[in-house]
Amino acid sequence: MDTLEVVAVEVPGEDYGAEKYREILLDILQDLGLYKSIGRIYIYSDIKRPYFAIYGLFRGSLPPLKVRDMGDVTQVDGGYQIQVEEEQHMDDLLKVLWAKYGREGVDQPDRDILIVATESSPEDLVVTDIEVEFRQDLVDALGRITPEGFRNRRNEMNEEGFFFLASEETIVPKLIDEAKEQIRRMADA
Amino acid sequence: MLEPVMFKGGVYKHDLVLELVEDLGGYVLQRNVTQAEIILLLLIPSNDMTTLESLVKELRGELTRAPLAGTEVAVVTPTLAIHHLPHVACDVAEYLRRFGTKSNMIGMARGVGKKIAQINEFEMDLINEHDAAVFLFGNFIDCILGKEKLYRNIEVPVIVTGGPEIPKEDLPYAFEYVSTVGRQAHRSRKASEIASLDKIVAAVGRALDGMRKEIEMDPLTTSPPRVMNAVREQIPDIERSFSPLPIALNLNGCRIKLPYDEYSREVEKIAFDEGVTLAEIARITPSKMKNYIVVRILPMSETGFVF
Repeated sequence: MDTLEVVAVEVPGEDYGAEKYREILLDILQDLGLYKSIGRIYIYSDIKRPYFAIYGLFRGSLPPLKVRDMGDVTQVDGGYQIQVEEEQHMDDLLKVLWAKYGREGVDQPDRDILIVATESSPEDLVVTDIEVEFRQDLVDALGRITPEGFRNRRNEMNEEGFFFLASEETIVPKLIDEAKEQIRRMADA
Repeated sequence: MLEPVMFKGGVYKHDLVLELVEDLGGYVLQRNVTQAEIILLLLIPSNDMTTLESLVKELRGELTRAPLAGTEVAVVTPTLAIHHLPHVACDVAEYLRRFGTKSNMIGMARGVGKKIAQINEFEMDLINEHDAAVFLFGNFIDCILGKEKLYRNIEVPVIVTGGPEIPKEDLPYAFEYVSTVGRQAHRSRKASEIASLDKIVAAVGRALDGMRKEIEMDPLTTSPPRVMNAVREQIPDIERSFSPLPIALNLNGCRIKLPYDEYSREVEKIAFDEGVTLAEIARITPSKMKNYIVVRILPMSETGFVF
């Protein structure tokens, strides 16, 4: 079952290739943990020309990651203890805590336990902007999905979604318009 | 006739297998020890196979036929980027190894794209040092047909793989085309995917059988395993080579993994009981792979004798 709402891949004259690129797309999005944030995705490729276009719509913006999202925050003697469950952003968490409370104010008695010497709870501190990280991963994913030989690339990204075009030839406005027109047709179908 | 087989079993008492192989006049091509397990690639005279089988049964080991043993196969991808590696390329290379061949992965410098793909002379020479090559292509018919220029001038048999079905007539320079092995972003686990890998092994086997038949028409002056044994006996430094397989066998010779500049004279002087040296019965040249030594045994038509 697809985790995205819509996944459509169209490659004229290459039905097998279209089906396989659908699998590749889903595998890569899953590997990078991106499928939760993308609602719809359309791929159109004309191998005769050749070019490869991907258009996607986001599911909504991601809220910034706060200390309370990373684990349990409890009051202890001499401050607050953070029992970290999400270690992926541990380095960001330490940087934020050091900046706010100084190195001497943050103790790490165990790998996943931090004790902050403060009287007010640090749970509302912003650790990182996940949105930025997501967009970096997305650009990486688009590069991986696209056939490697398509070295000329153009990427448009806004609040709602993204449009990625790759080609072996120089990307000219006419090619961009054509790719967008094909994607629009697929989205309207 | 020598039969290629693979022995898998415990390290305990495996010396008995080695001794028996020597007594029967066979050859040990490769010896891999992994903790308490050992894998041996052997060449055994077919008439004596039952003797070895009964010993292996006694040792609770496993003996399987390794049809590709004593050969080297190149697994070629358009580049070494994440688009082509690791999944399909590693699966194919690893699967070929299970059937006894020595598979080498080669990523081309500029093999990508439909119009811009190209192969250079060095890559071509390197691939030609192998017994066969497997070119791994993608999922679009148009691209697979367009990349024919990459393997058109390769002298060894080339097995092309790709996703879609393409009639063999459309790929005249390929020895065979194996479909359903195109680009993918996951490991081959499904039964259908493993079946596709089996098809590649079968195609490589047919290509090598064809080459063996060609060699039989004008036999080599001596067999590559015999050269291998002579190198092991007369150049002790080969045992100190860091390579996991210090002597890689080919159908018409072998690759000795020692620096050409330092050891080529010693290799030329290797003597056989029949009173000839290796330089008299083989061409000894530098390899394109890390300046190793390539030995190509001359056929009977050039030397006038066989031993």
